[in-house]
Amino acid sequence: MPPVRLSILGAIFVFAVLSACDGDAEPPLIATAIIINESVPGKAMSAGYLSLRNTTHDEISISRVSSPEFGAVEIHESLLQDGVAKMRRVEKLLIPANSTVSLEPGGKHLMLMLPIGAPENISLNFYNDETLQLSVQASLTRSKH
Amino acid sequence: MRTKNFIIAIVLGGALAAGIFVAASINKPAELQTAFVVPSPAELPAFALQDQYGEPVTADTFRGQWDLVFFGFTNCPDICPTTLQILANAKLELQNIGAGAIPRVVFISVDPERDTPEILGRYVDYFGAANLGVTGTLPELVKLTTALGIFFEKAPTDDGNYGVDHSAAVLVINPEGQFSALFSAPHTIANYVHDLPIIMDVN
Repeated sequence: MPPVRLSILGAIFVFAVLSACDGDAEPPLIATAIIINESVPGKAMSAGYLSLRNTTHDEISISRVSSPEFGAVEIHESLLQDGVAKMRRVEKLLIPANSTVSLEPGGKHLMLMLPIGAPENISLNFYNDETLQLSVQASLTRSKH
Repeated sequence: MRTKNFIIAIVLGGALAAGIFVAASINKPAELQTAFVVPSPAELPAFALQDQYGEPVTADTFRGQWDLVFFGFTNCPDICPTTLQILANAKLELQNIGAGAIPRVVFISVDPERDTPEILGRYVDYFGAANLGVTGTLPELVKLTTALGIFFEKAPTDDGNYGVDHSAAVLVINPEGQFSALFSAPHTIANYVHDLPIIMDVN
């Protein structure tokens, strides 16, 4: 009898994998409007912007962003307080259930530091602690000048 | 017949009202959207800084053209590039609509410790070849910022580095070298394209 049990387990396993790959299901986190600015000449940093849509019924938290093309990536927020522009690090980016959080100029943004070489195509990995939540690919946005 | 006369009266009345409305709009002085005009333009104080080429920058540097002055620092990836890009695009728009004067953009570093003329030059040139970058010593910078009501302060970061908190306003200096108007943040291209021709005509 043991061989039969194994095959049933195998069938359940295959079914579970197929469900996870169901083409109609939306991924939990979707990135749109991705803009990664080239760094200004002489500066080893640039800003990245994107919108993150949480399609699930649970809050998603992003505590770390990494990119093989940059030595460090941090989430920062520009604040305007009494006419003074300030920039502060965001420790955890919270994306509420069924909501979109936009990273855009003058607000929250990715600070991409220490570029490795002169990257044209950039991968960004978004983690909650050590769990990968999203991987996106983007190409560098060049200034019109 | 009575109905016809009544309709004619309505049409004539409407035309008269429209005419009055158009005349009123033409005679009405243009209003500023967001800029604040300083009631009595203020002279700049005496100070000695330098530009990206190492040439001296004093109050006299601001005479002879309209200037849009923004304070910031080059290690600023979001607010400073965004603002300089808005000012560059606003200048292009002003050229496109045939504005009588096109202001110069002046970026004054509030991080003179790290922003050498060379670093500043590469930064400001990126947003327009005609831009003026200004840096120098802290005491000379403070003479200018104090007189203009510009705040700045180092903000240490976790990695032992620092950013600089700074006033986000853009100041308008008239061709007599006087501080004459101010745009508060957040900045938009449309606000500059609308308000600058009014400001530059008034003076």
